[in-house]
Amino acid sequence: MKNLLFILVLSIFSCTKNNSTSSAAGAEGAQKVLNLVVTADVKGFDPNQASDLYAGNEVARVYEGLLQFHYLKRPYQLEPNLADGMPTVGDGGLSYTFKLKKGVMFHDDVCFPNGKGRELVAEDIAYSIKRMGDPKEQSKGWWLIEGKIAGLDDWRKNGNSDYSKEISGIKVIDKHTIKFTLSRPFPQFLYAFAMPFTYAVAKEAVTKYGKEFVNHPIGTGPFITGKYNQGNQIVYTRNPNYRTVTYPSEGESGDSAKGFLKSAGQKLPLVDKIVVKIMKEEQTRWLNFLKGNLDAMGIPTEQFTNVMVPGKGLSDKFQKMGVMERKSVGLDVTYNAFNHEHELFKDNVKLRQAMSLAQDRDMLNKKFYQGVSIPAQSITPPNIAGHINGFVGEYQNLNIEKAKAKLAEAGYPEGKGLPEITLHYTYNTKSRQIAEVFQQNMSKIGVKIKPVGVTWPELMKVVNTKQSMMFSMAWGADYPDAENFLQLLYSKNSAPGANGSNFSNPEYDAMFVKASMMEDSPERTALYEKMYKFVSDKVPWILGFHRVGYGLSHGWFKNYKFTEFNHGVAKYYDIDNSAKNELKTKL
Amino acid sequence: MLQYSIRRLLYIIPVLLGVCFIVFVLYNFVADDPAITLLGKHATVKQAAELRKELGLDKSYFLQYVDIVRSAFTFDFGRSWSSQQKISEILSNKAGASLSLTIPAFIISMILGISLSLIVSFFRGKAIDNSIRVICIGMMSISYLVYIIIFQYFFAFEWGLFEISGYESGFPAFIPYVALPILITVVTSLGPDIRFFRTIMLDEIYQDYVRTARAKGLSERVILFKHVLRNALVPIITYIVIQLPFLILGALLLESFFDIPGLGGELLRAINSNDFPVIKAFTIMSAIAYMLFSLLTDILYALADPRIKLQ
Repeated sequence: MKNLLFILVLSIFSCTKNNSTSSAAGAEGAQKVLNLVVTADVKGFDPNQASDLYAGNEVARVYEGLLQFHYLKRPYQLEPNLADGMPTVGDGGLSYTFKLKKGVMFHDDVCFPNGKGRELVAEDIAYSIKRMGDPKEQSKGWWLIEGKIAGLDDWRKNGNSDYSKEISGIKVIDKHTIKFTLSRPFPQFLYAFAMPFTYAVAKEAVTKYGKEFVNHPIGTGPFITGKYNQGNQIVYTRNPNYRTVTYPSEGESGDSAKGFLKSAGQKLPLVDKIVVKIMKEEQTRWLNFLKGNLDAMGIPTEQFTNVMVPGKGLSDKFQKMGVMERKSVGLDVTYNAFNHEHELFKDNVKLRQAMSLAQDRDMLNKKFYQGVSIPAQSITPPNIAGHINGFVGEYQNLNIEKAKAKLAEAGYPEGKGLPEITLHYTYNTKSRQIAEVFQQNMSKIGVKIKPVGVTWPELMKVVNTKQSMMFSMAWGADYPDAENFLQLLYSKNSAPGANGSNFSNPEYDAMFVKASMMEDSPERTALYEKMYKFVSDKVPWILGFHRVGYGLSHGWFKNYKFTEFNHGVAKYYDIDNSAKNELKTKL
Repeated sequence: MLQYSIRRLLYIIPVLLGVCFIVFVLYNFVADDPAITLLGKHATVKQAAELRKELGLDKSYFLQYVDIVRSAFTFDFGRSWSSQQKISEILSNKAGASLSLTIPAFIISMILGISLSLIVSFFRGKAIDNSIRVICIGMMSISYLVYIIIFQYFFAFEWGLFEISGYESGFPAFIPYVALPILITVVTSLGPDIRFFRTIMLDEIYQDYVRTARAKGLSERVILFKHVLRNALVPIITYIVIQLPFLILGALLLESFFDIPGLGGELLRAINSNDFPVIKAFTIMSAIAYMLFSLLTDILYALADPRIKLQ
């Protein structure tokens, strides 16, 4: 009780400022201050735990990986970050040898001797990857390297977390060279090194802070921040010891016209300070954006028609304010999956085709996505290696007459004899409404749907235990390769794996295994196309959308290019203080 | 009174054991699997099992219950499952923000509520009484959320009288940030407070001692403030003290809209992420606070009314 009273008294009279936030720009002076917003809690700064977008973005301001995605080029392209050049691939695609940049320093912290950050070495990379495999660490990124690095799975199975023990697939050649050997060819392996899970951590920091390491960000990145207190904002300052990294001088066509190359050659990071505000309410974010307290945000659903004029873009009001629009094409797909182990759907392709043909996605798009999302024709979204532009599926577009005919062919004319089908979805208002529209669409051909809203863990439970007949889901790309989506239908990934629909087809499996070991090439694209057609005909899911959103930014926010992989991109952002002073008078 | 207080304090023990049992039952038999929530979309069954072991969820039910009881009596609630922060640290970091909003709002609401109820009681049945009653009912009919949205839009955004959102720790830095949320709390509490206190005052006003006081020639002001208010103290104390434990829990919606890093938001986060140690800490602490404040209410009864004996 004494503890409790002490906490209460201490906290109300506390004069610490480390949690402070102010919506006012305040005394920013001549400093370039970036004001960003996140819409959910940031769980912490341990790269091992950075499984969600919010934690991933914050981790990537402080930590870095061997590789990163080129900020401007599209399709997405890997480039070196901590690595000194792209790795040497050998042994028929089984080994990857990385040379590290020299002189990369960890942030200063008391965990290092004399509080001075030391140089990053190959042992740090080896330690960070082993840490992902350490069962005691419960890394959320283990799936990324599971079964891929030779010897690592065995080391994990031993469970004694002996980091001094040699692992055949992770070899430190010298202070600045590390070699990874895979247990099987896997060209997508390189993407792992651009993901926050694999970012380099210092053993000294993990050892000193123990469980609290998650709240003590100490990396090599362009920004530094103090102890994280799970408050309502995170303040970063420029890392004064950051190595010389410059803004890219080439991008995709059109980047120059859009001003994305104006900072070419400038030393990064371009801003002095970043204030990330955690605002969970849309109205709060919106009002702060309109006042200029936030530099960018997404358009609130209910404001969409005020902000955007169909076919024209931004409304006059927002153009006068100097606001810019930014289109974001998500690397994702939404879908309603059939459980292929359920008797009703197993081997009943005509029923699945009928239901897919009855889904009115144009109506759903207008109703729930302002008509701007892309009705999916295949399971992979645009802007991803392996996506085929212009591909149109035979059963992915509304055709009620054909749907009725297919239903009759399936043995259920006008739905007669067809039992009620349960659709599980994660409960929230929008998902409920979408499920109800699906119910209405299916009723047009006589298929009865019973939507059941459940929590996410409950949904995972019914999917993992194969108890669901159908379920709504979305998949966001972990890396920009079609393989990340196509694996969702691979039979060896059946529930409780990522293939929650339990689709199982030997022909598809053979194609998947072959494609997953191929480098990006015309042959692989041809194979992907064959797989798309196969999937399109077999209808393992009723495809939904590749979601498209619009974001807004103020005219003073420079180099704000959309990227699906925005880990570490804040170093490219810039703030034009003179434009800010001028434009703020118009708000 | 001391004996009574000690006895009441001892009663807390069985009640707390009961609360622990309810927490245990709800968590083990009703709540979702925390391992799935914590591990995210790539969670495998094996990983979930490993995490459950790590979190101590593979222990026998008896041992899990003992763990809950131990934390309730030692106030060592461990660490948050999602942030790994010590729960005592979370509470000390966030209680200040919540209390800087809820305590001033509560005090102002009570003073205004009691004062206005005395005025309307004084003018009972007259135009001012009827008008305030109608206004109170009108104010109570509007959703709390509407007040927040409208006040934030007009007072903060449109007219620039307050900050739209944000917070700074430490007195007096927090004042500009909590001023509007306090105003909203006061405005939304006035309706029910005035109606409640008015009823109490009117109950007293028709008592014999008031008639006697009037017969003795005392002024209406003296009767109201000296006699009626004092005699109405017992229900007022109940009304006030019983609300105190909830102040510690923060103001969930206000904290969320005004971006105040308080306990209300923390509780919501914990519920959404199945962060059981944090939920457990909140439940147990609010139960203890409720029991302690109930005891305080009884003690205050005796102080306010000497006829009440605590036995």
